[in-house]
Amino acid sequence: MSKVLSQKFYDEMKKLEPRYPNKVALLLPALHQAQEESGWLPPEVLEEIGAYVGIHPAQVREVASFYTMYNLKPVGKYHLKVCTNVACCLRGSDEIVEHLEKKWDIACGETTSDRKFTLMEEECLGACGTAPAMMVNDDYYENLDIPAIEKIIAGLA
Amino acid sequence: MHPALQAETLYIQHFRKKDEARPLSYYLEQMQGYTALGKALKMAPDAVIDEVKKSNLRGRGGAGFPTGMKWGFIPKQSPKPKYVVCNADESEPGTFKDRDIMRYTPHLLIEGMIIAGHAIGSKIGYIYIRGEYTREAKLLDQAIAEAYSKGYLGKNILGSGHDFDLTVHRGAGAYICGEETALLNSLEGKRGEPRVKPPFPAQAGAFSGPTVVNNVETLANVPFIVNRGGEWFSSLGKVERSGGTRLISVSGHVKKPGVYELPAGAVTIRELIYDICGGITDDKKLKAVIPGGSSAPVLTPDEIDVVYDIEPLMKIGTMMGSAALMVVSEDYCAVKLIKRITKFYAHESCGQCTPCREGCKWMEDILHRIEDGHGREQDLALLLDIADNINGKTLCALGDAAAGPVSSFVRKFKGEFEAHIRGKKCPNV
Amino acid sequence: MSKCVIDGREVNFTPGQNMIEVAKQAGVEIPFFCYHPGLTIVAQCRMCAVEVGMPGKDGNVQMMPKLQTACSTAVAEGMVIKTKTEKVLKNQKSVMEFLLINHPLDCPICDKSGECDLQDNSYKHGDAYMRYTEERRTYVDLDMGPVIKKNMNRCIHCTRCIRFGAEVAGVREMVAIQRGNNTEITTIDGRALETDYAGNYADICPTGSLTLKGFRFRKRAWFLKKAESVCEGCSKGCNIELQQDANVVYRTLPRTNLEVNKHWICDEGRFHFETIHDADRVLSPAVQGATGLDMAAWTDAVAKAQGALKSGKVTVLVGSDLSQEEAQDLKAFLAKQAPQAPVFHFGTPGVKTASDDAAADALLKRKSKTANLHGLEKLGYKPFDSLPAGAEQVLVFRAGRAVLPDLSKAKTVVGVGVFLKQEAQAFQAVLPGLTWAEKSGTFVNHDGREQKFQRSILPQGQSKALSESLMLLANQGTGTGAA
Repeated sequence: MSKVLSQKFYDEMKKLEPRYPNKVALLLPALHQAQEESGWLPPEVLEEIGAYVGIHPAQVREVASFYTMYNLKPVGKYHLKVCTNVACCLRGSDEIVEHLEKKWDIACGETTSDRKFTLMEEECLGACGTAPAMMVNDDYYENLDIPAIEKIIAGLA
Repeated sequence: MHPALQAETLYIQHFRKKDEARPLSYYLEQMQGYTALGKALKMAPDAVIDEVKKSNLRGRGGAGFPTGMKWGFIPKQSPKPKYVVCNADESEPGTFKDRDIMRYTPHLLIEGMIIAGHAIGSKIGYIYIRGEYTREAKLLDQAIAEAYSKGYLGKNILGSGHDFDLTVHRGAGAYICGEETALLNSLEGKRGEPRVKPPFPAQAGAFSGPTVVNNVETLANVPFIVNRGGEWFSSLGKVERSGGTRLISVSGHVKKPGVYELPAGAVTIRELIYDICGGITDDKKLKAVIPGGSSAPVLTPDEIDVVYDIEPLMKIGTMMGSAALMVVSEDYCAVKLIKRITKFYAHESCGQCTPCREGCKWMEDILHRIEDGHGREQDLALLLDIADNINGKTLCALGDAAAGPVSSFVRKFKGEFEAHIRGKKCPNV
Repeated sequence: MSKCVIDGREVNFTPGQNMIEVAKQAGVEIPFFCYHPGLTIVAQCRMCAVEVGMPGKDGNVQMMPKLQTACSTAVAEGMVIKTKTEKVLKNQKSVMEFLLINHPLDCPICDKSGECDLQDNSYKHGDAYMRYTEERRTYVDLDMGPVIKKNMNRCIHCTRCIRFGAEVAGVREMVAIQRGNNTEITTIDGRALETDYAGNYADICPTGSLTLKGFRFRKRAWFLKKAESVCEGCSKGCNIELQQDANVVYRTLPRTNLEVNKHWICDEGRFHFETIHDADRVLSPAVQGATGLDMAAWTDAVAKAQGALKSGKVTVLVGSDLSQEEAQDLKAFLAKQAPQAPVFHFGTPGVKTASDDAAADALLKRKSKTANLHGLEKLGYKPFDSLPAGAEQVLVFRAGRAVLPDLSKAKTVVGVGVFLKQEAQAFQAVLPGLTWAEKSGTFVNHDGREQKFQRSILPQGQSKALSESLMLLANQGTGTGAA
């Protein structure tokens, strides 16, 4: 099977290897690294990661599907995760989600047809003091309201 | 200004004094950085543990277990390597205090971990940080690199002969990984499912080696304890058996949400809300307080004169948890709120054990029905019974975390539930 | 010997023994789903929770405030265990309710019905009334290859299958994906199971979630009559149970023998019973005629065999699939009837003698694909190499799995025992015999263990026990007996 993961992936992993007593412990870092490169984790990537850490691909799938941050399906260029947990919903996150659903005519969990935005409801992001909060890809945006959201989206090319 | 805030209490939150980035130089110059490490390395490991025992430092993650005692459980001799693991999963809704520590004074945590390593005889540490905190993970990585370059980490730290390696390990979106054995499974590259106990982590934790798992804030307190002594630390606390200060995350309907560092047990909930956080948003009336992260049973306005600390809250049937206070004003629907909380626990249940896997979703479905105006009279008794069938019957504490709020909301806001059921819609709309 | 108290009764136990097992020995049933004696303890189903207490220094028993799972709690000296308190019974009722809220009520069409842990425990510990009115969780099912059919709706997430794969079969192919209420037990996208021990997945499943494809909709469990047997698939001697109704064997299940096969059997052994009812099995006496091998009277077939036996040029080949009793009878018979004849045992190509036999995998399988190689050697049978020069007549005794050697050089071959039509095409005659399911006997396994197996079904067709065939060979035409 030809390799789908980049040399950079293997270089990064090589650096981490001495930090753990076994290779299986590299599974989460490996999934993060692979996702960083391709935005999501297609089956052939899971397969190759399994071969790299030395476990059955089913075990990779088992672990990857447990954690919500690993995308087992493709996502849009901008992955918006709006926290709707207690502190955020007390401060109006529902309206933000509703606004975005209407704006893009998609439901939570879906991607716009131009594949630019994926919208998801997120559980507590640990930014309750600056609620409502959301993540766009890896970045936090806090103290949101609808005008603020509009401004953020306008800035996403 | 509230008297509790007048006293000089910003130890961990030293950074609050000046609103700017905190490089290692700041930590070294302004916060006596790494002096505790130098001191601890000259002490016998047991002497460090004794100092922590004397300090009355209790775990800041939620359970409030005495930290010194936890360290004392680690066997002196072990054929397997011992580990210090920092629980930086900060995932209990309402909690956002550890993020500040990692963002502004990561070296405080790093120093605490190296001292913990010396105390229990461990050479390896991991910081398990929740996956969403990418920025904080990067900051920690940088700080760790700095610490290596200065000889605080690595081989033969400060010429003491003691070695310690530290690695940041990112989670990937699972509340349950805040449970220490689930965290250890996740660290090992497995599903974040809590383990059957015994064995406890002190016997067989990370990679089967004896392991101490401590919260970020807990470890960040350690340098102060070593520098100023356990007795000093203990004396900071205003109630028995609780030493030091507490970082309190306040969120929801208050004018000034945020993280406040206050001596343990220095204030009541009322003082926290009205004196420290400026009162309720738009000067509305208070409806409810969730005092210790969303898993803590809810309190009503007549219950808020309680001292905000572990034992007083336990006495009135709730808990301090991770010291995350969520404030709800009069016009927010109690049914909607508890449904949202329950949805969270159902979503975060790992699915291993029967009552949690099946029961949390069942409660969520019933609450959803009531919120939507399809509730039945018998639903309330059913909810209480399901909660009772989960509470204390599950493999880990997530079941209790889901059941406690449901039974407290149903009991304390019964009228509001009944209004939903009888009126077939939310009376608040 | 240590002592604990279960439901007010003093009970002996060995330290380290599982609480569920200690109670069972004392006649106290603690119900469970996820516990399995051959797998690690996970304490997930919570069904086995009991009240536990320890005597304090003052001698007073201090009961723990929370229920403790019996599967994961070590029994200690003086421990007090209560399995029937109100708290325990309420928990059992609650766990049953939780497990059933999403379980379909399809027992009437479920193959597990009648031997289902969920059904049994529901009857014993559950409630007849159901409070659940929400929508049930349903899954689209994926295939799992030729052996196992999965019905995820019936799954109660006990994870026995996952643990079996990882801990016993040694392959992490069966996994839990997603989490919480959405947890699904599966292989990757329904890939076929890789292990050749897949049948065990169905055995240990406490519900009808994993069933054997070959057994589905074929027979109700309660119609099946059980016989304790030993697998004849190889020299391991795994303990099995053959289950039949109306003289048809429907399935093989493992019997627990911690010293031989523990709780498991391989698929090869599990499905070997299918050969008993092979449509091509020769089930009536047959002789070579104008159009090839054809049905005949016993007397004709016996006469042919006698001809070969008395020719003075006969070589006797004995399959190492014969039972010890059969091999003994045959030995005595040959000593009398053909004392000069060379006699050899045959079985698995490449495994001539017991010293060639070895483990074929990490779990159970052996290289010798016949069950009694070691027994025949014990009786003094010599291994077969090739037909001796001038061996014109060959008499082959065989009961099942022994692979026939090349007999093309022989002028006349007569077979006694179990043969398929295609194997016996060129034989002069066949005297049909019994498979191991049709007789009782003894096999000696690879490490010399003698194990009895019991007859499960009556002889099929006109086949006869070897002792009877030998009697006919000795007596027909002598006036001392008749066919």
